[in-house]
Amino acid sequence: MDDSAAEHDSVPRRICLLCVRMLSISGAGISMVTKTGNRGVVCATDDVSARIEDLQFTLGEGPCVDAAQFGAPVMVPDLRTPDDIVIERWPAFIEGAGAVGVRAVFAFPLRIGAINVGVLDVYRSDPGPLRDGQLRAALLAADAAALALLHTDTASDDLFSDDIGARVAYQLQVHQATGIVQVQLGVPTEEAFLTLRARAFALGRPLVDVATDVVARRLRFSVEDE
Amino acid sequence: MSNGDVAGGSAQDRDREQLLAETFVVLADTLVDDYDVVDLLHQLVDACVNLLGVTAAGLLLDDQRGNLAVVASSNEETRLLEVLQLQSDAGPCLDCVRSGVAVSVDDLEADQNRWPVFAEAAMSAGFRSVAAVPLRLRSETIGALNMFHAAPHPVPLNDRRLAQALADVATIGILQRRSSHRSALMAEQLQHALNSRVVIEQAKGVLAERNGVDMDAAFTALRRYARNHNRKLSELAMEVVRGEIDPTSVQSGRRVT
Repeated sequence: MDDSAAEHDSVPRRICLLCVRMLSISGAGISMVTKTGNRGVVCATDDVSARIEDLQFTLGEGPCVDAAQFGAPVMVPDLRTPDDIVIERWPAFIEGAGAVGVRAVFAFPLRIGAINVGVLDVYRSDPGPLRDGQLRAALLAADAAALALLHTDTASDDLFSDDIGARVAYQLQVHQATGIVQVQLGVPTEEAFLTLRARAFALGRPLVDVATDVVARRLRFSVEDE
Repeated sequence: MSNGDVAGGSAQDRDREQLLAETFVVLADTLVDDYDVVDLLHQLVDACVNLLGVTAAGLLLDDQRGNLAVVASSNEETRLLEVLQLQSDAGPCLDCVRSGVAVSVDDLEADQNRWPVFAEAAMSAGFRSVAAVPLRLRSETIGALNMFHAAPHPVPLNDRRLAQALADVATIGILQRRSSHRSALMAEQLQHALNSRVVIEQAKGVLAERNGVDMDAAFTALRRYARNHNRKLSELAMEVVRGEIDPTSVQSGRRVT
């Protein structure tokens, strides 16, 4: 294992490399949506992945663009036999991606409800769908990438890596509490979510417990405390 | 009506038939329009409570990461949410999703060993009986409709059929949502429904805090505003979370542009 080399890679890049290894895909890339709505490529495992990201920025069309817009994965197991609407929507992307040997492409939005962080794109030079276990791994990778990108401003992106599997991601109280804290602190949703997690970490308590206290009004956040 | 197995031909029966007919007309109406999937699923759990006389109902979906996620519940009480969410580990919903067949326990007190943690949580939330019917499309099970009764309660055959019919409508509603971009795959549709629910939770938190109301009141206001102004629930929720619409106007029902 190239652990020593991997340590120098950013977390998003490590997630992309892991995707390549686990999903039987050819390459992966992550693009980010900034707070001002601009977008940029965070990382790509190879030239073709980088080209896929670039194409979509230049053209303003493609699976990544649609995934970000609709808030759901967009999966095209074979670009040469896509359904008609895809051809209609992405004529230039299909041509450009085909020219660099892309046959299958899968885009996963990095989202937590209204929090929109970016998109994970993976591609394969052979056609075919992601199998069950691969889909699961890709969704988990997207969850991890969303958190990694959210934490890029903080000192250590490993700090919170333990408490939030997908299990926590769909605990409804966490999302209710995020909305509450957003109003209490007058901050954007992503900052409210991070503050909530930081508090849980500082208290050494599970995120969902702290969230439940916030929803039950047993715990309030105030601007002075943060 | 307190339970489903009343004798035939009564006024109660006719009321229920009327309600049943109205419910399916409303659902059919929704499905031919460009509907909001989370809103539809809430209509379904509400219909489940009204038609089957159960104490509470919830709808869980396979999140395709190895968990079950709550997408709709008949009330927003934390106790109910916890009982629903616990079933990612063990419970009738998990068994139902794994097996693809309905699972029920008439009396949890008499049958505690099957899912000890779930049974204890369900009973302390005030439930004595539970049933789960699968959301199935061909060989695939995408989730389960979960029903709770405060009293020990064998589910009559007709009620089981009706619950399955509601679950089937939910399945169609989730997987046939008219996609604005393409004929999307099952995974795309499922993930869309799951993320929509998360946006709605965040919006409920904003509304509850800003307007000093509880989660139930916040959700009721959100749904009412969406309906009265012909908006999709999850799009309205997104605007609330992003601060693009005034939370007080959503609570009061006034339209502010």
